[in-house]
Amino acid sequence: MSNYVVLSPETHHDTRVLTEPGKTQADVVQFTMTHPLEFRNIQACYPIFFSKSRDTGEFFPLALFGFEQGENLFIDQFQWHASYIPMMIERQPFLIGYQKTADDTTNPVVSIDTNSPKVSDSEGQLLFEANQPTDYMKGIMSKLEALHHGHEHNKGFISAITENDLLEPFTLEITLNNGTTNQLMGFYTINEHRLLELGGDTLSEFNQKGYLQPIYMAVASYARIKDLIDKKNALSK
Amino acid sequence: MNHSINRVVVVGGGTAGWLSAGIIAAEHYSSQNDFELYLIESPDIPTIGVGEGTWPSMRSTLKKMGISETDFFRECSASFKQGTQFYNWTYGKGETYSHPFTAPHHFNDKNLAPHWQTIREETPFADAVCPQMPLINNQLAPKDITTPEYAFNVNYGYHLDAGKFAELLRKHCVKQLGVKHISANMTAINSTEEGDIQSIETDSSGTIEGDLFIDCSGTRALLIGEHFKIPTLSKKKYLFNDSALAAQVAYETAEDPIQSCTLSTAQSAGWIWDIGLPTRRGIGHVYSSQYNSEENARAELLAYIKDTAGEKAAEKASIRKITFDPGHREKFWHKNCVAIGMSAGFIEPLEASALVLVELSAAMVAEQLPANRKIMDIVAKRFNEKFSYRWNRIIDFIKLHYILSKRADTAYWVDNCRADSVPESLQELIDIWHYQVPWHRDCYHIDEMFPSASFQYVLYGMDFKTQMNPMSKRTDRQAGMQAQAMFVENSKIAQRLAASMPTNRELINKIYKYGLQKI
Repeated sequence: MSNYVVLSPETHHDTRVLTEPGKTQADVVQFTMTHPLEFRNIQACYPIFFSKSRDTGEFFPLALFGFEQGENLFIDQFQWHASYIPMMIERQPFLIGYQKTADDTTNPVVSIDTNSPKVSDSEGQLLFEANQPTDYMKGIMSKLEALHHGHEHNKGFISAITENDLLEPFTLEITLNNGTTNQLMGFYTINEHRLLELGGDTLSEFNQKGYLQPIYMAVASYARIKDLIDKKNALSK
Repeated sequence: MNHSINRVVVVGGGTAGWLSAGIIAAEHYSSQNDFELYLIESPDIPTIGVGEGTWPSMRSTLKKMGISETDFFRECSASFKQGTQFYNWTYGKGETYSHPFTAPHHFNDKNLAPHWQTIREETPFADAVCPQMPLINNQLAPKDITTPEYAFNVNYGYHLDAGKFAELLRKHCVKQLGVKHISANMTAINSTEEGDIQSIETDSSGTIEGDLFIDCSGTRALLIGEHFKIPTLSKKKYLFNDSALAAQVAYETAEDPIQSCTLSTAQSAGWIWDIGLPTRRGIGHVYSSQYNSEENARAELLAYIKDTAGEKAAEKASIRKITFDPGHREKFWHKNCVAIGMSAGFIEPLEASALVLVELSAAMVAEQLPANRKIMDIVAKRFNEKFSYRWNRIIDFIKLHYILSKRADTAYWVDNCRADSVPESLQELIDIWHYQVPWHRDCYHIDEMFPSASFQYVLYGMDFKTQMNPMSKRTDRQAGMQAQAMFVENSKIAQRLAASMPTNRELINKIYKYGLQKI
């Protein structure tokens, strides 16, 4: 279970974080949440699909790493082999929230998951030195803010594509070279027929709001499924 | 006599009127054709708001009309109905049984009822065969927030606020389905030479012409009754109940659980319904005025409210009385007029047949809307045959609950089992079921209202004994082992569902906040 506490130099002056992706069990996941502002980078490495939140039923986009729960085909020998690491993986073990102050300005509040295997007392990067954030921590802060911005943009994106019925459920069945089959269920993709039927006004609105490009990025990302199959075949030889 | 049927006029708002309008318009309205649907609603007559419980069929009815289930929950104070739970019907000693909406496990290809006979002392029938039971018993929902609109993990219908429902339907019909809403009082009916209705005069909107008229004017039955004088067939000799006292009761806290079923508790000469909406409970006592005084019926109702909602709630309850003559029209479609809703008939609300009959009637009008006046009489004849049959099946099924009762504490329960109060068609079924369990071939029609599953739930819920034929292969050892495996499987599914489904209230609150997805 995660245990997020508010980050402070007083409490966390000796805390270190293992930054190399793939090094700990925390990264051995089948997928991670993403957002349209990083789709260009995601689609270069991973298939982009959509899934529903267990808690709210709302759709979110994800980068897929494997065909079953707890399978990340990009990690080998504790190293993540890809040219781009999704922001939701990089931000670990931190979270950002925003607090309204008395004079109505909002302050970012960063929390750390003290139960994350990435947190250590002896190895990895320090978060604070002389009560000041280290360069690593500063980098994390700006990533968290970018992520927050991305998730806000994502809300409008998801409403736009669901209102226009642009998502459809799909089932992918792959047969590996050794004859075993894997079934990918419970995910959703862009409905390309519906996409081609969109009228000029909608397309123009999507374009203005920055939704059109990510839709096509998601469509293009399906080519990455083959990379995943290749990786899986290589493993099961 | 050969003109085409383009213009349908519904007389009367309320749930029956707007539901009929929506179902027919959804099938025929298009900007490409000449179809028109008018609904005349009196601004002066309040609707009676009958039927706060639906069947699962309402899901497909709403979906077909293009109504979002999220909007429906948000605007109609709707909750999930997974069936009916009966208290005190068999012996009047605190016992209970359920008639859930989900058919027994593997119902299509395996009849578990004969095999249940061997374990009937240990496990109630519904619990043994239906995975829905733990959800029902624990006020859990039939789906979760990731399940798309109208889809389900276990089958469900709704409880709803009838007034709000009519309002949602009105908005949808007018905005999306091209229904023309006329708020006016009917003042006269103009006839053609052949005796059809030609048009309706109104006090403030002139003359409304039409090819087909749908009478949704409720018990007043302005067209089918007052105008055409089609008589009503009383069914009081089978179904004794003719009065109801209805109340609305507040929850104690906003977090109180919402029941998954209509609760039906037998009384001295009738029964009390208890319907949980997110906002309030609808509780009422339906009884026979011949066997119970209004005063005593009221006392029984108040005692129930006091027991289940506390003294304060009982003091605050305002009670409305409704009387009815149980029965239905001799025919429902006459000339160019169809009666739908209470103008067609009304019987007690056990098994909530009012709204489903509206759905079925309107769906048949929509599907078979005669192309021209010439063939209308044939459609009318078939409609009348079908719905006479359906009313009789409903009466049989409701009466079944009474004749299986072993209560003898009042004349009401004793007289309900008198041979002359039991329809012959029902008595024949009972005679058969003493020796064989209900199964698919006991039903004559593909669109039967009550499948054999429903009969099984009521019969075996009420302790009915079927003497199995010892020569039957159905009860041999191998089949028995297969059935045992299915009982075990059912229990596993039931446990899994109970562990994963949210409570009704949790899910309804989430629907308010996030909505259900369309896919």
